[in-house]
Amino acid sequence: MGVVFALIGAALAALLAGIGSAIGVGQAGEAATGVVTEDPSKFSKVLILQLLPGTQGIYGLLIGFLVLTQIGILGGDANISAAKGLLYLAACLPMAFVGLWSAIRQGRVAVSSIHLVAKKPDQFGKSMLFPAMVETYAILALLISILSVFGIPALNI
Amino acid sequence: MAVVSMRHLSLYGLKKDRKAILELLQRRGVVEITPCPIEDERYQSPDISSQRAVFDKCVHTMQGALAVLDREVPPNASMFSSLEGRKPITVEDYETFAKERDEIYRIAEQLNALDRQITECQADILKCRAQQETLVPWKELDVPLSTAGTANTAVLIGSLPQAYTSEQLLSILANQLPETDLSLEILRASPEQTCIFLLCLKEDMDHVQEALNELGFARPAVAGRQPAADMIRQLDERVKGCEMKVDAARKEIASYAGFRHALQFTIDHYLMRSEKYDMIGRLKQSGRLFILTGYLPERDAASLVREIDANFDAAIEVGAPPEGEEAPVLLKNNPFSSPVESVVDSFGLPAGRERDPTSIMSIFYYFLFGMMLSDAAYGLIMVVAITVMLLKFPRMERGMRQSLRMFRYCGVSTMLWGVLFGGYFGDAPKVIANTFFGANLGDDFTLALWFEPVKDPIRMLMFSFLIGIIHLFVGLGVKFVTDCRTGHVKDAIYDVLFWYLLVGGGIVYLLTVPMFLNMANLALEFPPIVGTIAAICAGVGALGIICTAGRESRSPVKRFLKGLYGLYNITGYLSDILSYSRLLALGLATGVIATVFNQMGSMLGGGVAGVILFVVVFLIGHTLNIGINLLGAYVHTNRLQFVEFFGKFYEGGGKAFAPFGTHTHYYKFKEDQ
Repeated sequence: MGVVFALIGAALAALLAGIGSAIGVGQAGEAATGVVTEDPSKFSKVLILQLLPGTQGIYGLLIGFLVLTQIGILGGDANISAAKGLLYLAACLPMAFVGLWSAIRQGRVAVSSIHLVAKKPDQFGKSMLFPAMVETYAILALLISILSVFGIPALNI
Repeated sequence: MAVVSMRHLSLYGLKKDRKAILELLQRRGVVEITPCPIEDERYQSPDISSQRAVFDKCVHTMQGALAVLDREVPPNASMFSSLEGRKPITVEDYETFAKERDEIYRIAEQLNALDRQITECQADILKCRAQQETLVPWKELDVPLSTAGTANTAVLIGSLPQAYTSEQLLSILANQLPETDLSLEILRASPEQTCIFLLCLKEDMDHVQEALNELGFARPAVAGRQPAADMIRQLDERVKGCEMKVDAARKEIASYAGFRHALQFTIDHYLMRSEKYDMIGRLKQSGRLFILTGYLPERDAASLVREIDANFDAAIEVGAPPEGEEAPVLLKNNPFSSPVESVVDSFGLPAGRERDPTSIMSIFYYFLFGMMLSDAAYGLIMVVAITVMLLKFPRMERGMRQSLRMFRYCGVSTMLWGVLFGGYFGDAPKVIANTFFGANLGDDFTLALWFEPVKDPIRMLMFSFLIGIIHLFVGLGVKFVTDCRTGHVKDAIYDVLFWYLLVGGGIVYLLTVPMFLNMANLALEFPPIVGTIAAICAGVGALGIICTAGRESRSPVKRFLKGLYGLYNITGYLSDILSYSRLLALGLATGVIATVFNQMGSMLGGGVAGVILFVVVFLIGHTLNIGINLLGAYVHTNRLQFVEFFGKFYEGGGKAFAPFGTHTHYYKFKEDQ
């Protein structure tokens, strides 16, 4: 039974964070293509900005994969207690939800940053920072999720 | 190591020397000319708008021609052409090119004319095709569309907005006009429209027309004195003619491919002249004299003055920047630190009396970047790839070269951290040994010199916080030094020392609390007195901040409230320190994603298929991982520097030194001195 909960958790982390990043990168990509139609030389700059909201999906993948290896889905013993399964589920939630929401909001900031670069290419350094601010919270969520996932096997339940 | 000391330059010269002096300054490229502030009726700024307009037009023409040429005959540029930098050009080449300038201008105009011709022909082709489209339904009609009839008959040619068969239409018309003789031919029927040819007696025409109008009869959009089929054929011929013209124009454009360099050169030439005229606009001049003001680095002042003195009759004053004016900022650092100048620049150059933060920042920059990427193999790849690029493209532009150098130092640091943390393409050595060489390395196996963050994340977290505290305290320290140097010793104590006491005391106190030590997995033991001292320090700091943070306000109540608010900033320090947890998170992300790919690659086990899968997944996966984490490490290193570090002591906002020189696009003019 535990493995079911744990897998739901892993799936949620990959799913929600991935959806968030897809939305964020998608929005930023629309803005980026608009800029490149006007000025192809800004391609590399806007590409970097477009990629920024993509990290949440990767963090989600990371948490999902860590859980998968630990619960034995990728080979090994898949027999874990229901309590542990629920713990894994809980551990995945920060990354899943913060990943979803922060990627969407980060995507919107990335869009504005792309507009900024379109008008003032020399402000690229600053424009990169604004989306990175949003990402802080995804990183904090990743941290809690990682620490939890690493901590669970040692628990004796 | 610092901000280059700037001198203010005033030059009074004879107008006849103006050109030569400006050319000398342009060649040397060490003086930023500022608009001359002298207000005097005798001295006027020369009007340069007409010359500017001429140059702009030339550049525009040339750039248009070059774009046409590049479109028709794409230059064979490699993927790395942006790294190549501008080609150097010698004075002899300059002279030969310069002689041909009129000829090249003519070629540029010819190219633009050819381009216009192509555009026109293409528009013409489109127009013809559209006309043909409307003629197609009338193709079967062998009389001209404009046929009105004969002496006694009237002809109605047109379309009805529905599908009809000849019988249907005749019966409808017969119902309405039972007495009339009609001859009807359906030329083409489709659900959208029916094209008809109708013949009737002239006296019946009005009635027939009325009846048809009720059905929605419309005359054809194109009329013509010839049958539609003939017109279509003629249009075809016109299209063919246009296409031939386009081809001929394209060929002629291609025949000018050899002039690409000449065009580029001429663009550069006009850009240079245009820049010179910009500068002339900043001068003030009377009938015989001109005045030039500007800034130049102190180190270049003496030699420039000597050179001008030797060649011209001019009076030069070099002195301190005038009061109330901010001198432009140029940074000069040793080769280790100078690559991160561009990072400082993107935040803002030091303004006023601020010190250049580059050198102190560079150490942390490389250090933090390496911690976030922390993989020995990735670091090695960065170092090798960048070294190859730098060697292969020796003429690379300075900005690009500096960025690459910065990443090379970051790569070295990444390598060192990778060795410490045991990351070599993640856990690739272990996976390869286990999968393909039958080794049985368990979880205990490690290549790390120090420890693996994945296995002991709490330890890594604590280490990250430690780095963060050091980083922040160094930032505060810089503020302390700056304040002391500028004579604001009190500010240094109030804004820095009290915070050292509060934050430092707080942290040491925390380390004496058993619960925290337990949580952090630290085996530290302090005598109880340490905790007491730490608490007292923190208390003194807090008290000091409450008393001094609101020192600008006069009213004691306001001052106290502002002091409390200042103390509230402690949450800022807390979040600043917690922010360094990204060092752990991003470091883990690199390692774990690499592990994910290694594991995916080894899914088929040993054997040929296993090796192939592993190689494919390994190459794709690690390329992706380097890309993603390089971006992540870069962005977040910048963030830690800009927000957490600079936030403590640095504001920026200086104006970059922009010397008058040769800012060309394609060629670099070699100096032979």
